[in-house]
Amino acid sequence: MALGRARLERPSRYLVDERPLPAAEIDDEIERLRRAIELAREELGVLRDRLHGSMAREVAEFIDAHSLMLADRELTSGIYDLIRQGGYRASAALKLQRDRLVAVFEAMDDPYLRSRKEDVEQVIARVQAGLQRDSSSEERKLASRIGEILVSDTVAPAELVPLAEAGVLGVVLSSGSRVSHGAILARSLHLPMVVAAHDALGAIAENDLILINGDSGEVIVHPSSADLARFRAWQRDSLQRSRQLALLAERDTRTRDGVEIALWANAESAADVALARASGAVGIGLYRTEFLFLQRRELPDEDEQFLAYRTLVLGMGGLPVTIRTLDLGADKADNSVLMLDPEDNPALGVRGVRLSLRHPQLMRTQLRAILRASAYGPVRILVPMVCASEEMTQMRALLRECARDLRSAGHEIAEHVELGAMIEVPAAAIALPGMIRQLDFVAIGTNDLVQYTLAIDRNNDHLADLYDPLHPAVLRLLAQTITIAQRARKPVSLCGEMAGDRRYTALLLALGLTDFSMHPGVLLEVRELIATLDRGALRKHAAALLRAPTRARIEAVLARMAASAATSA
Amino acid sequence: MIEKDIVITNKLGLHARASAKLVQTLHGFQSSAFISCRGKEVNAKSIMGVMMLAAGLGVALKLRTEGPDEAAAMAALVDLFERKFDEGQ
Repeated sequence: MALGRARLERPSRYLVDERPLPAAEIDDEIERLRRAIELAREELGVLRDRLHGSMAREVAEFIDAHSLMLADRELTSGIYDLIRQGGYRASAALKLQRDRLVAVFEAMDDPYLRSRKEDVEQVIARVQAGLQRDSSSEERKLASRIGEILVSDTVAPAELVPLAEAGVLGVVLSSGSRVSHGAILARSLHLPMVVAAHDALGAIAENDLILINGDSGEVIVHPSSADLARFRAWQRDSLQRSRQLALLAERDTRTRDGVEIALWANAESAADVALARASGAVGIGLYRTEFLFLQRRELPDEDEQFLAYRTLVLGMGGLPVTIRTLDLGADKADNSVLMLDPEDNPALGVRGVRLSLRHPQLMRTQLRAILRASAYGPVRILVPMVCASEEMTQMRALLRECARDLRSAGHEIAEHVELGAMIEVPAAAIALPGMIRQLDFVAIGTNDLVQYTLAIDRNNDHLADLYDPLHPAVLRLLAQTITIAQRARKPVSLCGEMAGDRRYTALLLALGLTDFSMHPGVLLEVRELIATLDRGALRKHAAALLRAPTRARIEAVLARMAASAATSA
Repeated sequence: MIEKDIVITNKLGLHARASAKLVQTLHGFQSSAFISCRGKEVNAKSIMGVMMLAAGLGVALKLRTEGPDEAAAMAALVDLFERKFDEGQ
């Protein structure tokens, strides 16, 4: 829910100038349109450059589609023709072309494709906005919009992130659907959104106080005192819930029988780091660095990387930070500046540490940047896709070389930076007894470990039901990896999706895990759950879990574990 | 010239983002490429053209590539359709 002042954005705010265009002004008008299209493309480029985090890839696809539309002569040549031959002004020509295209979409049978007229509307609206800014030479400002609820006909998904950052409390749209991409993105941003409120633009006036409920789709204009009471009750409940969880932020993570468990955060953006601090994470267990390399025209140099890593280290205020070296393969290469050869089978190809060792200069730059950041707080380096001891030997040698060079050049770096391996290839898990001496710590990556152990591509939907961590082979590899590392007195954490999925918390405690690394948004809820679990009792079920030959039997043991926890609680 | 018949298997069909991927896939090829469907043929290098085909799940298309790298361009196109535009469904 959200309560705020309505701020209307009408499609008609684009003044369409219907006056006929004198022949003498045709060239100027064409030039104005060309500039507005150019401006719109630049804006999309800026939006795309600012993306990071979990939704980045999906939003980037929308932006790419809109950029391509603006570059497509099938869209633009018709508009230029209307100006040149029809004597229309740019704004009127844009509107005519929009109406034409929208009519084609509205005649489509497929409801989803029909709804994609939104893409045309959004692209044309962006050019219209460019035209107006051009004529009034006024910069568009997204100044403080705190307390506002945006009421509009449509909003492009890429616009939602800046809106939320500017303090907009919610969005009401006269079009759209709950399954549209904008609506899905809004939910992940915790931004209440009501869609398909058809007469919203007619029924709501600027600055009206409105109450919206994103779950039920209600919009109440001038809420009554009963409505406000309902809102206050909801506010109290959600505050109480977040306070309950916030109380947990200050606490250590302990099981019911008093065993201390370490909850680390996976992080990629500044927001993740802030959330990790606020939730009381013991450190960053996985910092992915790929975003520095994706979707750009040149490789990030040592200084750029150093600044990013230092920001992270300083942001964690002395808590340890685990930076994973570049984990790219041919499947992501088309989005990066690395010229990788296309591969038939990128999951089994040149990726992770294999890529790093084939491009030692690339790795030196990254290792130097990480080492320089180590002067500002504790840093650990995590190597992805390791499958043989030799790879760690070579990485260790590279790291030593970089440290020596930096020191002799007078750079301040930490005395000791720990080097660990990601255990995500079955070979590494199986060969771990021989490799463990070389490692300062171990991080289990379950997403890939499950994929490689079961030989199931996790993006293949025909096999989605088989991609399941509850397989005897996966449980054995997990248990062995944890035990071998603990016997060698090396820290071992788990940083795949499993770590933050509360369906698996009891299972992982039973297998002996004490360090979990997860998205910071779920950390408090996992802490809350762990406090209810008795680790000593769970450990007794480990042998039964590992003996269970089928998924059904594993689930039966998990059910017994849950039942005995319930009776003893 | 190479022609190939294909049926759309991704759930959402040739919507804007899928069309964008298709156009981007063809960027690297010199050959021209066309898609026809229900008697209408469009330039596969134009995102508007592809979107206007209104081709949803289960629709049969004819792909045509023509030029020096027509075989590779066709292979890339077919691969994209078979990967369901990486949409996962």
